[in-house]
Amino acid sequence: MSQFRAKTLDIGCFVNKWIIRDHTKRKVFKENEPERQALRYIIRNTTLPQRVRAQAQLQLSQMHCYTRPSQIKNRCIMGGKGRGIVTDFRMGRFQFRMNALAGNLPGVRKASW
Amino acid sequence: MAVPRARILDLMKAQCRIFNTTYNPERLRMGNKVLRQRLRGPAMTEYYPPRTSTIKKLREKYPGWHLVDEREDERFENIKIAKARGKGAPKKKRTAEESKKNSKRKPGQAAS
Repeated sequence: MSQFRAKTLDIGCFVNKWIIRDHTKRKVFKENEPERQALRYIIRNTTLPQRVRAQAQLQLSQMHCYTRPSQIKNRCIMGGKGRGIVTDFRMGRFQFRMNALAGNLPGVRKASW
Repeated sequence: MAVPRARILDLMKAQCRIFNTTYNPERLRMGNKVLRQRLRGPAMTEYYPPRTSTIKKLREKYPGWHLVDEREDERFENIKIAKARGKGAPKKKRTAEESKKNSKRKPGQAAS
């Protein structure tokens, strides 16, 4: 959604539309997280009146989809791939292999026994 | 030996006071687990590395220095070459009439 997107490029890794989109979602989620948590608290608090809780439920479900953490997906920072990501290194499995074999990742060695 | 419930409740109260938790003997669902959670946003936004110094930012910081942006220079050169060959971008239309003049289709002509 263009209304959330940064006006100038603010990430320094490999860039494509999916990465920009994911980064935008992350920023929007960060901004809206306290509000979401407050609403979640109201929803889960059984001591509050039912009406208030239902309203909070409605409000939470009507928030923009970019504010949802489930929209966020880890992508490869070297090639933008969305599947097969090694989370610790934020890379796709093949990029991870290439970089590890090239010695770019400190402490990573090919297993041998 | 059975311990009276009142005494256990007293213990719970003291426990809650010491460890700064909510006293809730009926075990109602108060949603406090949501409040206990940490915010995940700051860590999540750091996933992609930030953009480090660009030539533009360097120029802003050190205005007196002569910094060369090779890609930008190359772009300008290419534009110059294209204009010399008459292949440059058309001039920007500033008013509505100017832009309409070219796009207007004659009534008898069919759209191709």
